[in-house]
Amino acid sequence: MIGFSQVTKRYPGGHEALSGVDLAIEQGELVFLTGHSGAGKSTLLKLIAAIERPTSGVVSVSGQNINRLSQRAVPYLRRNIGLVFQDHKLLFDRNVIDNVMLPLDIAGFDRRESLKRARAVIDKVGLLNREKANPISLSGGEQQRLCIARALVSRPSLLLADEPTGNLDAGYAADIMAMFRDFHQVGTTLVIATHDERAIAALGGRTLHLDHGKVAEATA
Amino acid sequence: MIGWLRHQKHALIAALHRLRVQPVATLLTALAMGVAISLPSGLYLALGNLGRLAGDLPAQPEISVFLDADASAAHRQAIAGRLQQPDIAQARYVPKEDALAALSAAQDLADIAAGLTQNPLPDAWVVRSQAGSREELARVAADLARLPGVAETHLDSQWAERLQAALVIGRTGVWLLAGLFAIALVAISGNAIRALVLARRDEIQVSRLIGATDRYIRRPFLYLGALQGLLGGLAAGGVLVLAGRVLRAPIERLAGLYGSTFQLLPPTEAEIAVVLGLTTLFGWLGAWLTVRRTLRLGMATR
Repeated sequence: MIGFSQVTKRYPGGHEALSGVDLAIEQGELVFLTGHSGAGKSTLLKLIAAIERPTSGVVSVSGQNINRLSQRAVPYLRRNIGLVFQDHKLLFDRNVIDNVMLPLDIAGFDRRESLKRARAVIDKVGLLNREKANPISLSGGEQQRLCIARALVSRPSLLLADEPTGNLDAGYAADIMAMFRDFHQVGTTLVIATHDERAIAALGGRTLHLDHGKVAEATA
Repeated sequence: MIGWLRHQKHALIAALHRLRVQPVATLLTALAMGVAISLPSGLYLALGNLGRLAGDLPAQPEISVFLDADASAAHRQAIAGRLQQPDIAQARYVPKEDALAALSAAQDLADIAAGLTQNPLPDAWVVRSQAGSREELARVAADLARLPGVAETHLDSQWAERLQAALVIGRTGVWLLAGLFAIALVAISGNAIRALVLARRDEIQVSRLIGATDRYIRRPFLYLGALQGLLGGLAAGGVLVLAGRVLRAPIERLAGLYGSTFQLLPPTEAEIAVVLGLTTLFGWLGAWLTVRRTLRLGMATR
């Protein structure tokens, strides 16, 4: 599903975030990205979502070559990818349900159908009773669950999460990871960048260790 | 197609919502636009009314035919004969004694008339032509001027023609002004939209990350620009209605002094529709220009 071949990403200013990375992730896999901060985990995720383009090498996602993807085609690639951010990136000018409905609005869904789907996914992350709340009134853990709900509402086949439990205490973090395990079990491909060794141990799966822009495979 | 319509509806509703939650900003922008639009459209209306005035007045145009002081009796006979022709509706002879008497009767000119040792005025005919158009009238006047014994003819619609010529300049001015204010409109709309785009930076970036096309992001702002333009047009309408109300009484009094029943005419429905359509278009254009620019330059997330 995801393939990197000799991928190098150099940022303006000369910092090389990834150098000559080769990797392949199959459909339905659960993959953890580990490594010290600045090792290139975020960059790797950004390349998959076409937020950044590689300096050299080839990135392919669902059979599409990201290098050659036109700017106009990028939105349609992203609609098939759920993104979970460490800082949530929620919109505080609208309530919980409207935040979750945003991807469906963008994809042009009928409002009634969107509402139904959004309710279902909010229920799944345990926020149904907060549907009308403003996200700013939610706790950190709840905000992260809302972010996950928004990433999942359009039923993407690939979920990318960048430090999803980075700001959460252990209890909340275990919650979130349990949720990810459920999605993995229904066939979603997950790539999770994290420091959380306990979570990795609990969920199992493959671990890719990044060190100074190079990948080392480690089996947990 | 249904998805497209749904997107349009969402964008329109979002734009209306945005206008409603910022009533002060909306009002100020609409006022700025309204003032900018009311100037050229007000001038256009004023010129339209003046043009009507120029068109109305020579409905019964008179030709004054002044005779040579030494015109012979035979020539005078021939002229009187010519004035019996069917293209002449009515002809009145004004001997120079009568003209001088009229001059003396006019209060301001009595002194001048009294100071004259001899009568400098010519004998004259005041002629009303059957002619319907200004061109025909001019031809009749020229025809009469060629008769022997006629010193000159004077067409009383000349001032109306001069006014027409002045109005042509005025109309050109209106178009120039309208062009300038259209640019101002685009700038006002663009500026208002730019502030909104910057205020919604987070939403735009998040939307892009979750698969929004540029078109999707642009759409509500374009509706906003168009709506703001429409509101500006309506504000201009308000300004003009107000100006019309204030001006009506003094204009009717002035017209009354000239013995005319002239009244200010309001714009036609078609004119209103054109103005509202154009302001909407220019509001949209301003939004389109800024949004395109801002999305291209200001947003790091692609």
